[in-house]
Amino acid sequence: MAIRPGGELATRPLHFIWIADCSGSMSTDGKIQALNNAIREALPLMRSVADDNPNAEVLVRALRFSGGAEWHVKPTPIGEFKWTDLRAHGQTDLGYALNMVAEELRIPPMSERALPPVLVLISDGQPSDDYIGGLEALMHEPWGKKAVRIAIAIGEDADTDVLQQFIGHPDLKPLQANNPEALVRHIKWVSTAVLKSASSPASQAAGVPLLTHMPLPALPPASDPTLVDDVW
Amino acid sequence: MTAPTRWRTLTASVCGAAHRRRGLPNQDAVRVTRCPDHAPLILALADGHGSAHCFRSRCGARLAVGVAHLARSQLHEPVGLSGVRRWAEEQLPRELVREWRRRVERHLAREPFTTDELDALDTAGRRTLAANPFVAYGTTLLMVIVAPAFILYLQLGDGDILTVAASGAIERPIAQDPRLIANETTSLCSPQAWDEMRVTFQALAGAPPGLILAATDGYANSFRDEAGFRQVAHDLWEMIRGGDWAGIERGLPDWLHEATEQGSGDDITVGLLAERTDAGPPDAAPRLERDTDPHERTAPTDAA
Repeated sequence: MAIRPGGELATRPLHFIWIADCSGSMSTDGKIQALNNAIREALPLMRSVADDNPNAEVLVRALRFSGGAEWHVKPTPIGEFKWTDLRAHGQTDLGYALNMVAEELRIPPMSERALPPVLVLISDGQPSDDYIGGLEALMHEPWGKKAVRIAIAIGEDADTDVLQQFIGHPDLKPLQANNPEALVRHIKWVSTAVLKSASSPASQAAGVPLLTHMPLPALPPASDPTLVDDVW
Repeated sequence: MTAPTRWRTLTASVCGAAHRRRGLPNQDAVRVTRCPDHAPLILALADGHGSAHCFRSRCGARLAVGVAHLARSQLHEPVGLSGVRRWAEEQLPRELVREWRRRVERHLAREPFTTDELDALDTAGRRTLAANPFVAYGTTLLMVIVAPAFILYLQLGDGDILTVAASGAIERPIAQDPRLIANETTSLCSPQAWDEMRVTFQALAGAPPGLILAATDGYANSFRDEAGFRQVAHDLWEMIRGGDWAGIERGLPDWLHEATEQGSGDDITVGLLAERTDAGPPDAAPRLERDTDPHERTAPTDAA
């Protein structure tokens, strides 16, 4: 048979980005360590979901923000991804972080053939810089607008209005985690159910109300919420 | 002027690797029509959206390629090139949408949404469907019409059309729509879908393209970059120039299977129109993977 026409075949990249608040308040009551533990615990599940869909190339990275922001882990195939503990100190420069994410979602370096990226913002407080400017920069990028944006609020001091603005969809609310058990549950849901939906999305009709956001599976209920006290 | 009475046609459609893993059918459709005098020739492809809300999009895609061929009746009217162009740009999009919706309504009247179909939706989905039942049948549409004096390209939603000139130059007669990323696409079910249809009319002053390739988006998405996808058109053209059309006929389904396995995982459908250089009769349009939905009563045939 003749040689297959065309260039190199490739699966579609799926960029999964943790955007982690590492401000000083995250160091209280074990919040930052609970986040480190939750992400580390979810990694095997994430790999398993990725293995189930070989047509998506899952690339994971992490951005930490406090006074400024920096890439904690560069884009890494999920099979090779290892979690290094985050440490917390300083301010909550969310705007700075969102500007950095926006830069990475430009075309290029992003490919037009990518799958919708997943952005997971985790925060326990209120932004200390111009977060609106950062959000505008993110939403200015086509991939910023099309990204699946999830937010996890740690503790009751988290500014859920800001997180809701980041999500930008009235039917999706920030996930509230007031204890380590809830945080693990939310992180696992994002790492599995959301990743699975994003890695094999069906086409969505543009201009049809309510269909312009990728449908997400329901969050599983807590095993028994009465057994776990709120600590944050 | 070259009369397009000697065009070879070939279509192939394969179920996406990801769809097979999940037990889903191929939701693309393709159809080629030759009019009795072999001119014009119409190729239509459709890519049903396949999302939970678009649970009848496989049917919607097949209705779409059927509707596309209504254009042939208009093409026999002696209206001149400027008249055809005006009709294609101003009337055809509305006619296609109107007829597709009419057929969807007819199908829906015969087979109303079932409790199972509606129960699978969330509240927002049911609300959307109540306001716009066409969403259940959502699909894209790509069309190429080759007539003795012109070629007409029409596109609604994602997918790709490439042409290869005799010189080997590869072009997109319809530019890529930068809005169509992240699996979001314009659709026959979109409000005012006719406004989203992009039409390119080419009067044939010289030689027509040697090859026209139309594909659903699962094909281009299977290559690492645009150059890799364009290479398909280049390589096929080289095979045609080398007299190996039979090799393309033999290989195309396997190439598409390989592409979906190692690439996008999506359904892939390809239609090829190639001007033949020998004196043989026009080819039939073999359908290499047939849809067999017993509920679909308007299943297209390959050649009219």
